[in-house]
Amino acid sequence: MKVELKNLTKIFPSRNKKAGGEVVAVNDFTYVIPDGKLVGLLGPSGCGKSTTLYMISGLQQPTGGSIFFGDEDVTHLSAENRGIGLVFQNYALYPHLTVQQNILFPLQNLRGKDRMTKQAMLDRALEVAKLVQIDNLMDRKPNELSGGQQQRVAIARALVKMPRVLLLDEPLSNLDARLRLQTREEIRRIQKETGITTVFVTHDQEEAMSISDEIVVMKLGVVQQVGKPQEIYDNPVNLFVAKFLGTPPINVFNGKVEGGKLYIGAECVLTVKGVEDQEVTVAIRPEGFNLEENGPFTCQLSNVEVMGRDVSVVSKNDAADSPVIRSIVDADNKIDVSKAEVKFSLKPHKVFLFNKETEERIYFEV
Amino acid sequence: MEEKKNVLPEETSSEKATQAPETLVKGVMHEQNMQQVSTKQRIVKIAVQTGLYVFLGFMAIVVLFPFYWMLISSVKSMTEYEANPPTLWPKVFVFHNYVEAFNAANLGTLFGNTIYVGLISTGLSLIITVLSAFAFARLEFKGKNVLFGFLLATMMIPGELFTITNYQTVVDFGWLNTYTVLIVPFLVSVFYIYLLKQNFMQIPNELYLAAKVDGTTDFKYLWKVMIPLALPTLISITILKMMGAWNTYIWPKLVANDEAHRLITNGLRALSFTDEATQKTNIPVQMAAVTMVSTPLFLVFVFLRKYIMKGVSRSGIKG
Amino acid sequence: MAENKETKPKKEFSLREKLDEFSAWFKKFLLKIKFDVWKGWLYLLPCIGLLLVFTVWPIINTVRISFLEGYDSLGAIGGATFNVGVGNFTRVINAPRFLTCLKNTLILCVLTVPISTILALIIAVCLNAIKPLRRFLQTVFFLPYVTNSIAIGMVFAAMFKMVGSHFGTGNEYIQTAGIMNTILGVFGVKPVNWINEGSTYAANITVMVVYIVWNALPFKILILLGGLQSVNKQYYEAAKIDSTPRWRVFLRITVPLLSPMLVYVVITGFIGGFKEYSSIVGIFGEGMGAPGAKGSLNTMVGYIYDAISNTQYGIASAAALILFAIIFVVTMINLYVSKKKTHY
Repeated sequence: MKVELKNLTKIFPSRNKKAGGEVVAVNDFTYVIPDGKLVGLLGPSGCGKSTTLYMISGLQQPTGGSIFFGDEDVTHLSAENRGIGLVFQNYALYPHLTVQQNILFPLQNLRGKDRMTKQAMLDRALEVAKLVQIDNLMDRKPNELSGGQQQRVAIARALVKMPRVLLLDEPLSNLDARLRLQTREEIRRIQKETGITTVFVTHDQEEAMSISDEIVVMKLGVVQQVGKPQEIYDNPVNLFVAKFLGTPPINVFNGKVEGGKLYIGAECVLTVKGVEDQEVTVAIRPEGFNLEENGPFTCQLSNVEVMGRDVSVVSKNDAADSPVIRSIVDADNKIDVSKAEVKFSLKPHKVFLFNKETEERIYFEV
Repeated sequence: MEEKKNVLPEETSSEKATQAPETLVKGVMHEQNMQQVSTKQRIVKIAVQTGLYVFLGFMAIVVLFPFYWMLISSVKSMTEYEANPPTLWPKVFVFHNYVEAFNAANLGTLFGNTIYVGLISTGLSLIITVLSAFAFARLEFKGKNVLFGFLLATMMIPGELFTITNYQTVVDFGWLNTYTVLIVPFLVSVFYIYLLKQNFMQIPNELYLAAKVDGTTDFKYLWKVMIPLALPTLISITILKMMGAWNTYIWPKLVANDEAHRLITNGLRALSFTDEATQKTNIPVQMAAVTMVSTPLFLVFVFLRKYIMKGVSRSGIKG
Repeated sequence: MAENKETKPKKEFSLREKLDEFSAWFKKFLLKIKFDVWKGWLYLLPCIGLLLVFTVWPIINTVRISFLEGYDSLGAIGGATFNVGVGNFTRVINAPRFLTCLKNTLILCVLTVPISTILALIIAVCLNAIKPLRRFLQTVFFLPYVTNSIAIGMVFAAMFKMVGSHFGTGNEYIQTAGIMNTILGVFGVKPVNWINEGSTYAANITVMVVYIVWNALPFKILILLGGLQSVNKQYYEAAKIDSTPRWRVFLRITVPLLSPMLVYVVITGFIGGFKEYSSIVGIFGEGMGAPGAKGSLNTMVGYIYDAISNTQYGIASAAALILFAIIFVVTMINLYVSKKKTHY
């Protein structure tokens, strides 16, 4: 089931009633979620990603625009008639019901021709419980489960009625770091096995990148960029997206383009063709640096962090936006820590230029 | 994994599990006529909301009707009150009923007594409650928890069990028909101590320790920090205690039912409001008296609703 | 401070110095008697003192008196001694008057607690489901709480009272049947003699149930509505997404999640019900019954007070202990049942 969002807009009245005014939570969001894919809505808090999810679920009504499930317009359909599954951030498992009763709950609501026999319901519940690997916990109460187990129960409850679309609201935020890695693989596996179109919301770019087929990067209610995770990472359309994706974060410098050459400070670090002379913001991925004895880009070496396979070189540069520059180089490189300076050459496809004012990407040729 | 008993035999269930993905993909919810559902759900929503308001409105009328009947009856003439069918709005307003009720019931003395007893007992009770709650919430001493547990246990016992001996005690003390007997026996309210203690406990202990470091005395700390922070609870307690004095009936009837010390509720019940000419109860005058007794309660409620409702609903937490 | 004192010349008398000296001594004294350990008890002194006299002693004494057969205060003052035994209890239990009181109390409890709880639950759920006017209606429904139960009882009496004479006799004469009968007449109900002379027991109890339920609703609505508002809204959203019908949401989610509040409301309802007294005084006066049938509606508490008035303290004590036992048992049963029914 593909999900189509057309000019979706949500405006909330301002919280401060006396001042009046309104808050645009989601602004003119148009996007087609492809059938059977796992899509991540990504952005910092307050970017409208959760509002978008709630509008898809039907729990919130959009102010403008429309939502289609396949060819059906579901914009004004309330949540109970949309046939979706939603996993809440804090799971919202009924505390007085066992795992099995929680999973059975949606099935017991089916009426008319969808009505199931008791045995069929139990079978289905067990089937789904096996899928998320909680079939050995069926008689427990939610408060007897760990966070990860509760999460699985919540997913099972959402899946059991075979939703057309599965929605997950910050699915991993209540789990500890170790469980988070494990659970995100699990979500990926379940989604692949069922093939249900799935949308999830997260503020954690790593999470979104690692499991999504596509991601949507949002900021202040406006979609910044949509695409496959690697494409967005390799080709951010603006400074916000470049900064938001990647760990360690991208390094940002003040620079200028003059006569087809890119300068950071006084040093010419790269040749860039097809760009007018102007002040620019330069962003360089940590893996975009090569250690080179006579490299054009000089930084003050602070220290070197060995991470096994890689080495993280921490250095400083006056033109940098942040106090430290992190570059990741292969561990085979030998670095003389006693030296005050380190010299780099840059990989052109890991260097992005942005307009100083609009922060939009300036494309260049090498 | 399979150790827990499953509903299905193991074989079939594991077979199902491998089939799971396929069924889940195909088993998309049935198609519906979306437009139809959308209108239907709007109609249902409006109908339900209307139903809710009709029901609540009806219940509100039921709840309010006695008050309405009290008010309009209090300004009817005796003849109109006895008319058949009863009138829902008085034809002639007889405000003289109030003068008659005030004089007949000697309401001035009754009001005065009740307010006097209410004020003194509330004031003293507050002091005792604050001191006790502070000790239980902030001070460390041996036997504290045992004592507090004992106090809570006494809340279970119905007051009637105390009344018998208390009656003997106040007779022995020679307190019958005094203000003292109306005030002293009920100064300690375990429930209010409990309420205030809970409130005090919410104030971080660091504040107390900081005050100690600064050399603040306990009393000053109590007065300057704890009481202002717990003020809403104290106001709730004050109002509920005052209302209690206004509504108390059984104990005063037993121990101070003389003219000089009688409280409002007892005074109201004791009077027959008999019309001298007809030897019938003059209900309009009676209703006028009831209205006058009820009015202060309503005024307090209107202005201090927040505190009353908070105080009463807090008692829900203790369960 | 002590050093300070010694360096100063001793002849000059200074009040300040003396005070300092005293306060230093006093502080030392407090330390010596371990004041900090006792301070708590000092704060509790008024509370404990009053509790000893008016709570602890009564418990002991009431139990003592209840086992002194035929105890009465005049006799006690006169130096009479009483046999120890359960005579008071057997006399109470065998007294027809007590059985009437017990029956009345039980009937009122069994009728009013379920009715008022269910009605309060429905009203609270409805209030929780609306937005405009909610606060206003909440206030309206709370209004009966802030009333004087004697005073409003008199209003209810007026509403149910017939005016006229010779009720129940051949030459019955009704001038007006009262507002309640008039309203019921609109729905085709014949006038009922609710509380006048010659009224039936069933009619009397009906009036009492109406009044007690009316009086009990505000507290229950307040508690239940508070409970409803503290239920996490996401449970309802989850249920909505699973297209759960309203009645199922009510039975499977609302009621279970509200069960702690419901248990509390039922238990306090029963405790209040067993102590019912002043609402009956409000409607029927101190005769505790319709004119001509005095005492027919008397309750356990009424029985205890009658015994006190007659200085039959032994009987009163025994009755009070029986009342306590009943309340205790009913509360325990409630808790036991609710433990089985509430799951978390």
